[in-house]
Amino acid sequence: MKILLSWLKDYIDIQETPEKIAEALNMAGLEVEEVIQPGKNLDQIVVGKILSRDPHPDADKLSLCSVDVNRGQPLQIVCGASNMKAGDKVPVAMIGAKLPGGFEISRAKIRGVESFGMMCSKKELGLSEDHGGLYILDDKASIGENIVKALDLDDVVFDISITPNRGDALSHLGIARELSAIFNLPLHRNPLGDEEGDDNVDNHISVEIEDTDHCPRYGARVVHGIKVGPSPDWLKDRLEKIGLRSINNVVDITNYIMLDIGHPMHAFDLNKIEGNSIIVRNARKDEKIMTLDNVEHPLDSTMLVIADAKKPVALAGVMGGLHSSVTEQTTSVMLEAAFFNPTTVRKTAKRLGMMSDSSYRFERGTNIDNVPIALNEAARLLRQIAGGRPVKGIVDCYPKPEILRQIRVRTKRANRVIGINLTPAQIETFLLRLKLDTRRDGEDLIVSVPPYRHDLELEADIIEEIARMYGYNNIPETLPAITSVLQLPTPLQKICTRLRDHMVSCGFNEIMTYSFIPANINESFREKKPLMLQNPLSEELSAMRTSLKWGMYDALRRNILNDEFNLRLFEIGRVFHPAAGGLSEEYTRLSLGFSGSVNSRDWRRNGENFDLYVVKGIVENIAKLLGLKIKFAPGSYSLFHPTMQMELSAGKNHIGEFGQLHPEFIDNKKMPKCIYIVEIDLGKAAKAAEGCQRMQPIPDLPAIRRDLALLAPESVGNRDISKILTAEGKALLEDCYLFDVYQGKGIEPGFRSLAYSLTFRDLRKTLTDEEIQPLIDKMIGRLDRELSVKLR
Amino acid sequence: MSESHDKLLQQYHSERKAAKDTAGLEALRVKYLGKKGEVTELLKGLGKLAPEERKSVGAAINELKNAIQSSIEESMREMALKEQNEKLNAERPDYSLPGLYHSSGSLHPVVQVAREVADIFLSMGFFMAEGPEIEEEYYNFEALNVPSHHPARDMQDTFYIESGQVLRTQTSPVQIRTMEALKPPLKMIGLGKVFRKDSDITHSPMFNQMEGLVVGENISMADLKGTLVMFVENMFGKRPHRFRPSYFPFTEPSAEMDIQCIFCEGKGCKVCKNTGWMEVLGCGMVNPKVFDAVKYDTEKYTGFAFGMGIDRIAMLRYGINDIRLLFSSDVRFLRQF
Ligand SMILES: [Zn+2]
Repeated sequence: MKILLSWLKDYIDIQETPEKIAEALNMAGLEVEEVIQPGKNLDQIVVGKILSRDPHPDADKLSLCSVDVNRGQPLQIVCGASNMKAGDKVPVAMIGAKLPGGFEISRAKIRGVESFGMMCSKKELGLSEDHGGLYILDDKASIGENIVKALDLDDVVFDISITPNRGDALSHLGIARELSAIFNLPLHRNPLGDEEGDDNVDNHISVEIEDTDHCPRYGARVVHGIKVGPSPDWLKDRLEKIGLRSINNVVDITNYIMLDIGHPMHAFDLNKIEGNSIIVRNARKDEKIMTLDNVEHPLDSTMLVIADAKKPVALAGVMGGLHSSVTEQTTSVMLEAAFFNPTTVRKTAKRLGMMSDSSYRFERGTNIDNVPIALNEAARLLRQIAGGRPVKGIVDCYPKPEILRQIRVRTKRANRVIGINLTPAQIETFLLRLKLDTRRDGEDLIVSVPPYRHDLELEADIIEEIARMYGYNNIPETLPAITSVLQLPTPLQKICTRLRDHMVSCGFNEIMTYSFIPANINESFREKKPLMLQNPLSEELSAMRTSLKWGMYDALRRNILNDEFNLRLFEIGRVFHPAAGGLSEEYTRLSLGFSGSVNSRDWRRNGENFDLYVVKGIVENIAKLLGLKIKFAPGSYSLFHPTMQMELSAGKNHIGEFGQLHPEFIDNKKMPKCIYIVEIDLGKAAKAAEGCQRMQPIPDLPAIRRDLALLAPESVGNRDISKILTAEGKALLEDCYLFDVYQGKGIEPGFRSLAYSLTFRDLRKTLTDEEIQPLIDKMIGRLDRELSVKLR
Repeated sequence: MSESHDKLLQQYHSERKAAKDTAGLEALRVKYLGKKGEVTELLKGLGKLAPEERKSVGAAINELKNAIQSSIEESMREMALKEQNEKLNAERPDYSLPGLYHSSGSLHPVVQVAREVADIFLSMGFFMAEGPEIEEEYYNFEALNVPSHHPARDMQDTFYIESGQVLRTQTSPVQIRTMEALKPPLKMIGLGKVFRKDSDITHSPMFNQMEGLVVGENISMADLKGTLVMFVENMFGKRPHRFRPSYFPFTEPSAEMDIQCIFCEGKGCKVCKNTGWMEVLGCGMVNPKVFDAVKYDTEKYTGFAFGMGIDRIAMLRYGINDIRLLFSSDVRFLRQF
């Protein structure tokens, strides 16, 4: 909201600098986003009159002008613009002037001709973005006068962002009231108003309110003899300085009053109000209205309208209807000032997707006492500048006058909440500066809340006012003298922390992708029908992810298209599944993504690409880290290569899966064939994780190691062989692991060589080779019989 | 020792000095002390001497033998050490080759900053709480004193799920859930993703917030200030700060905290829009209406709450100019952290 310093001075004699005022407003909670001082950097720029304009002798596009700046000899100025002629008055930057952009004017030779200054456009003066040639000034401007004076730029505009609770501050009066409290200055009131007139308003209009919850007060006043036309300069000027377009004197007056005292108004063409009656009521089914912006809106019964005897003529508090609006032909107007229920206005505005300066203020709460004040002030201005003849009196429909809210504030409570030590008298002084009337009741204060302070409902709200006036920065800094209840991190929180550190030290880059993903992704990336957003930002961000795989795929793919082929990525995040009763369930997942070489930057072992076994090893390490006993089984996910994939389970629960991306999803030449994705549910993993194991004693008796090199048909797996080795090794086999797999030269086609290392130990006595040999013989016998696996 | 012994010893020493390696020293040992060595021969000649001479000459020869023996042993040790050093020094690695097992893993910058922020509060005795990202409207709004059809809803443009639930617009619902579950005194922080319908270089439809809540008897605004000043000084270093009144429906009084701009030290720059200040967090005393919603005794307990955008702090900390980079998964970006 833009506020004009000179306008504030109607209400308050404030002499502080604009910077000081802005600072004070900021520290009172009214955030000044910008202080606009158009005249600030225009020191040596004056009004000049072009005496002659001739072509530059050496350049087609330049002109040579002689300019009178009322300082002796006219100046010779070379100029590149073309919209001026002799006789025009323009702003002239004198030698030594510094333009707002930082450019300093000096004596210059342009294409061989000397130039003693510069004629300026609006843009060069920092007054607008418009670069349409020189700024041709009004002929009334006096030659040689400083441009700041000539253009009346010596004003300051504050752009203030008002929080939604402070509807009372949405006007010049509101800001002045705040400043009067901050600087402890008197506030001059009021608009003069004009209560005079002939006849009686009841002869011209009647008002009826159907439901006073929606509209507690509605006031109307009638003015005849209007001549609609342009507004006088002072009015135009004030509106334009704060960025409002002047429309005509009648509309400008209603806008002016809104910006002045914060009360939105509307002017109807009285002759278009059928039956000379106004009914404030809910719209009826099938009613429609064409509003001022030329849009027709179908209405429904939740919307509040202002109607005449036959039809809606305005959307209450939001916008007037086109039919009854003031036009050049209008001679009689009915002025409206009302108090509409904030929620009612908001609902109507939201439903129609409309927001106006009026609805904005009504939604935040206006001053119900301002209804007659606004009407009388508008009548006064209409008489003064539009030839209006007000009819005497106001139709003021206000069936249940508001009673001022009273709030009890306990001094002790205020001090306790703020952490200071004020006396009731000090508090009273602060509140009086804010125009909050108080009455003492022992140590307590009873505060009467003025009708414009809708934000003051509870004791806490008054305590905020006290703290604000005391100054937040004067409150001491202490530490809470409490000890919190103890809440340790959950197992899930703990494993998330451990995993993040683990993945990073394993060379993974952590990614964070959006929780919402495209709705039209391939089914293979989904686990469930996703929850959909009602109002997504775009189709691309419209479905809640049911798994992390799409985000990981997208991340891998986009990096690869950036020529980053060797990737290991991880993400820890939530996925969302629909649950019974239209609700949702959230699961925390880990996803890993792999592409390219395992050790791309390793000059000794760079040949190895990610494959099922490398990825499985990484998954096994994670299981070890989390204390998980994971079972691996072949998987059947359509996202993955039909055989190059595995499912993970812990106990009886499925906890995840991984595999090589199915070639169907390799949709770009740059993408390597071997892309792997892993996903593990961390909540389930945390549940399945085993607690601390008991220590096993370190054996003091020696072990016997034996290596077995076996020749096995290709169809025989490690698992089958290991099973037999473990079974026959009985209690003496302490450890058994595969240390080599070989196929190729020296091995018959259809076969492969598998080498196992076996460790035997008896915890009670020293083993001998003689005790081991029968076990090994049995192993070899069974391997041969059951699997046709032979010793090499 | 006789003159001839002296001569022999001198001869030995000159030969020892000439020896080039351990093999040369070994040859010398054989020459003097071996079975047919010169000293051994002298010992063998003892028998020919008269018995009264034998004792003194024998002692002299033994002295000679010991002198040569210990000298040879010492020289051997020195020589062996020298030879080993020569061998070791002959091994020449290429110091410029990069190390193996190269890893360029990285924690997401937002996670790094969140950890930093959390560590400060955890050290102050706070605990970490969590809540769902898809929230009931009640927890995200009503319980936090934001009724429907209230203009405060305009402060946060909300995503709705078709079921009518919302994507939480703030982590504040975690406060409500925590208070429903626990009795005061409590000091908690909540961290998580939040969602608002907004997207440009400073706004992302998903971002990360850290929320804090302290409830107990006699908790005051002074406590709020002290706690947050301690946080800010540990996070950004000791620098001027200020608290400005503001508005959040769930706190009353409400404030925003600014610190002196970390880029221009208060002189004014583009980042701080020439104000010299940077807003870092919003805070306030818990509105009694919020305590009512969780059935806390508003007479007995007071409390304060605060919230901050972790992404924004990460952007300030690392000089990241576009928030969308954080969610781009681009390794050229991620590997820098
Ligand atoms: Zn700065």
